[in-house]
Amino acid sequence: MAKYLYNEEAVANLKLGDTSVLDRLVDFESARAAHLKKEHAKKDKRMTIGEAVATYVQDGDIITDGGFSYVRTPHQAFYEIIRQGKKNLQMIGAPNTNQSFFIAYGLVTHSHSSYTGAEMRGIDKVYDRALKAGKITILSEWSHGGVAQGFKAAQLGVPGVFSKQMLGSDLVRYNPYLKVVQHPLKADKDPSVFVPALYPDCAIIHCHAADKYGNAYIYGPAVNDLAVAAAARKLIITAEEIVPESDIRYNKQGQIIPFFYADAVVEMPFGALPGSMPGCYYWPRQWWEKCMRFGGVSEENNLAFCNEWIMGTKNQFEFVDKLGGAKWIAEARRQTKAAEADNEDIDFSYEEYTLTHDSGIYY
Amino acid sequence: MRDLNAPANPLETLAYIIAQQIEDHSIVYIGTGIPMVAGILAKKTHAPNITLVYESGGQDPIEGDMPWSVGCPMTWRKSPTIMEMSYSFAQCYNGYVDIGFLGFAQVDMYGNINTHMIGKDYHHPKVRLTGSGGNNDLSSLTEKMVLVGLQTPDKFPERVDFITSVGWLAGGDSRREAGLIGNGPAAVISPWGVYDFHPVSKRMRVKSLTPGVTFELAQQLTGFELLKPEGAIPETKLVTPEALKVIRAEVDPRGVFTVMPTQ
Repeated sequence: MAKYLYNEEAVANLKLGDTSVLDRLVDFESARAAHLKKEHAKKDKRMTIGEAVATYVQDGDIITDGGFSYVRTPHQAFYEIIRQGKKNLQMIGAPNTNQSFFIAYGLVTHSHSSYTGAEMRGIDKVYDRALKAGKITILSEWSHGGVAQGFKAAQLGVPGVFSKQMLGSDLVRYNPYLKVVQHPLKADKDPSVFVPALYPDCAIIHCHAADKYGNAYIYGPAVNDLAVAAAARKLIITAEEIVPESDIRYNKQGQIIPFFYADAVVEMPFGALPGSMPGCYYWPRQWWEKCMRFGGVSEENNLAFCNEWIMGTKNQFEFVDKLGGAKWIAEARRQTKAAEADNEDIDFSYEEYTLTHDSGIYY
Repeated sequence: MRDLNAPANPLETLAYIIAQQIEDHSIVYIGTGIPMVAGILAKKTHAPNITLVYESGGQDPIEGDMPWSVGCPMTWRKSPTIMEMSYSFAQCYNGYVDIGFLGFAQVDMYGNINTHMIGKDYHHPKVRLTGSGGNNDLSSLTEKMVLVGLQTPDKFPERVDFITSVGWLAGGDSRREAGLIGNGPAAVISPWGVYDFHPVSKRMRVKSLTPGVTFELAQQLTGFELLKPEGAIPETKLVTPEALKVIRAEVDPRGVFTVMPTQ
């Protein structure tokens, strides 16, 4: 029996039977209880990614992306989840690039979706096939801004926000969490969408630097991560480097996740690969083209591609080796610094992957 | 380096027409793809003082190379500030953004957009598309919207298969009554024509057509009855050789977004 009075039209449209599957995402009481039970003492929380995933990612969890699509996203931590074979995960894809890797291996069964795809590289045919085959159930349709407001409401410490986004659209008819309400003060008719505060079970956020307690520094777009970090019942911080607390205190003020949100701190250089990491490395663009184009052709292709790159590597260092090792690191750093105007302009030309041309070069 | 003298392809034509919608000194919200080309083209030609805003949070970057994605560092290159996503969209709600560009897989006679799925059955679509991303947020909040995409009867149906983003909803006053902000869609741009909306009924109307495209042909490429403007239909001003050179040599020299896609 569900604890909430969901939008009935959306529940019917999505053909959801037992709506209790929806509860945890909006269950403030249990999120607050989880936050109270966290380690509040300032302790060393460092561990390996294997330990962090084994301890804090449980079957059935609602997990979410940090970063933006394929920028500063914790791909390598997610690959560890795949290697450990977690099950029945719900995933919030906002923006999403990781669901399809999970779906390929049957880890994610339920999806909260605001975007799946890779912009001009194309629609996500893996997601398309999985939906048609009934391998995943969509639990809610969102806009990016709608999910962002749900996370932000959690960070603000309020039950939800009134939004002018998603009104009148089919998103409201396919999202059990949304209800259209009248502005309580306005004399005239003035509808808004009530967006409840959202509390994922487990968030993994990849940062530039963290101290051993979990104070974590983000450079470049924070996207939803400061809000997600505050909302999640469990938070794994992965970081390009572990730095002394004094470095955070004296040098890294700005976009900081406070230590007491974090449950685990993992040193994980190249943790955003194959995504980009601002200041550190640019995308292996051909990798994404191959992923979308070659993997898009068929389930067999996609699994072959994922097996090669995800199951075929034990960790991010082997992933770097496959991309081209030290040469790749140097090129990728040069590219991101040029993109950020932190070194001289360079030529961004590269050999695009197509089904008939695979250079095997990833920079 | 791209051939600077080859005839314009439809993507370059689109980019140019979109760029013409941008007035100098305005704040422009840019989606991925062709709008990125158009924004940068406008900045390099007739509108050097515009400020570009991207949904990943980047805004007001210094000029650089073509972003590979809306999350690319080129969208926040030495930006004075980078917004969290919720705050980025909030700038549209709060009235700081003048114009936004939205792509579509389908657009209907009232300018409603579908980027979710093609097919009549949500649970068994012919094809599942990307979903909203920031499309719905911009369409709900932005003062002036321009919709951009390809035109066939399937892509211009009477009713979209899924309303991802509300344009004029069911026409008339229905957008305002639904509670949405802003002035709604101002124009739809396809390679064949530029369309606006009747001021009262809010039905799509021909504004100008690409040279060589007649009203009858535009109608055949549309899945609903197009309205005709009063008087002769003007020709859309096509990309000039000068602008085409700027696109190919300066804006998108590697053809990330303006070379017809290969597979």
